Amino acid sequence: MIAELVGRLRQGDRNALARLVSHAARGEHLTELQRALTPSLTPARVVAVTGSGGVGKSSLIGKLISVLRSQNHRVAVLACDPQSPLSGGALLGDRFRMGSTTDDGVFIRSLAALTGHGAVADHLDVVIRLCEKFGFDVVILETVGSGQGDVEVRNLADVVVLLVQPESGDDVQWEKAGILECADVVVVHKADLPTAEQTAAQVRAALDLSPGRDVPVLRVSTKANQGHAELWQAIVALPLRRRQPSPACMLMQSLSDILSAQFREKESAPELAKLAEAWQRGEITEAEAVEKLVRILLMHQPDEPEA
Amino acid sequence: MDQPVRIVLAKVGLDGHDRGIKVVARALRDAGMHVIYAGLWQTPEAVVRAVADEDADWLGLSLLSGAHMTLVPRVLDLMKQACLGHVGVIVGGIIPEADISKLTGLGVAKIFGPGTSLEDIVAFLKSPREPVP
Ligand SMILES: Nc1nc2c(ncn2[C@@H]2O[C@H](COP(=O)(O)OP(=O)(O)OP(=O)(O)O)[C@@H](O)[C@H]2O)c(=O)[nH]1
Ligand SMILES: [Mg+2]
Repeated sequence: MIAELVGRLRQGDRNALARLVSHAARGEHLTELQRALTPSLTPARVVAVTGSGGVGKSSLIGKLISVLRSQNHRVAVLACDPQSPLSGGALLGDRFRMGSTTDDGVFIRSLAALTGHGAVADHLDVVIRLCEKFGFDVVILETVGSGQGDVEVRNLADVVVLLVQPESGDDVQWEKAGILECADVVVVHKADLPTAEQTAAQVRAALDLSPGRDVPVLRVSTKANQGHAELWQAIVALPLRRRQPSPACMLMQSLSDILSAQFREKESAPELAKLAEAWQRGEITEAEAVEKLVRILLMHQPDEPEA
Repeated sequence: MDQPVRIVLAKVGLDGHDRGIKVVARALRDAGMHVIYAGLWQTPEAVVRAVADEDADWLGLSLLSGAHMTLVPRVLDLMKQACLGHVGVIVGGIIPEADISKLTGLGVAKIFGPGTSLEDIVAFLKSPREPVP
């Protein structure tokens, strides 16, 4: 079933992508999924947008989508909202704030994040790879950032964009929370509000306390539609952090995937049984048997009946 | 383990009342469902796209505007085109008696009129569904 869905996903079937995301998010068929998802030769840029509740993450992502679409990027958004530990229910309202769309180049998916699992939904790494496989070259994660516990997002994303909003008073709470540590880019959002410049200065001052890290601080207003293109420029200027396997490594991975798939298909073929017997009786060495096995598996045999 | 029901709630048409749908959203959440609130003034196309991408089990449409006989069939039609026939559709709003049977005939699973209790909606969504061919 998973193999069939992955086949449909590769052919651009959105419903298959949506269903596979559900399976992954629930932790179903994970090994099968991992096996089917060979690393992509063109990895997506994964951008996490994080910040406290109501700072404007979803609204900002909505505008960022327009910027990305005007540059012909294909964008998947994975919006994580907390799931109630009591009822198991969740109210997933981010999609609404991002604005409605029927654009084929945009995929928006709401996911519930269990409390105690960081702010991210379970198995998000697999979900990201599914989006990558489908052909999205930018994957945006929305998570509620609560401070130091957000290391998980850092492992999943190439770039972490932290949103803070203008606040009055000089007691800067995010500094105390250690929240700036996780950020690759800091956005002072709602920059239409009067104290935005002051807040930006406070963020810069706090960042100056940890030398050696050059974290851009940008002012963005989604309400005034300002700063989103500049934000994207700052994001693409940063290196992709997620470690990519070497191309040779990827080929090796594909080879083993192809071999396993072929083996599942031909497992009961008589020639395989014959080969295995010959090896067990000691008529051929293991190395010879393996070589023959690979040959059988990779050989194109149109006349062979399907197992 | 039972997986939470996923439901997209949306309001199509032009009236701006969203109190009702928000109350329902909260009640369904408290009943353990995953509620994707798609909001006000959605076009049928955008609603169907949300249902597809969210892999929803249910779509709840709210309408007060009187345009139900054009909007609901349009949504159902687009759902079929998008191969989403397995998704159940419920409708909330003021629907005249005569139209109720027409809409259920077109494939709406249930219509909840004014005065429906939240418990009824929860119970309906949690009861086992007849498989859709
Ligand atoms: N003044 C101002 N308000 C904004 C701006 N962007 C968003 N808002 C408002 O901020 C509120 C929250 O916006 P959301 O986009 O839902 O924020 P969020 O961070 O995604 O919220 P959660 O997902 O609930 O954590 C809304 O009322 C928006 O209208 C902005 O640039 N300026
Ligand atoms: Mg949000």
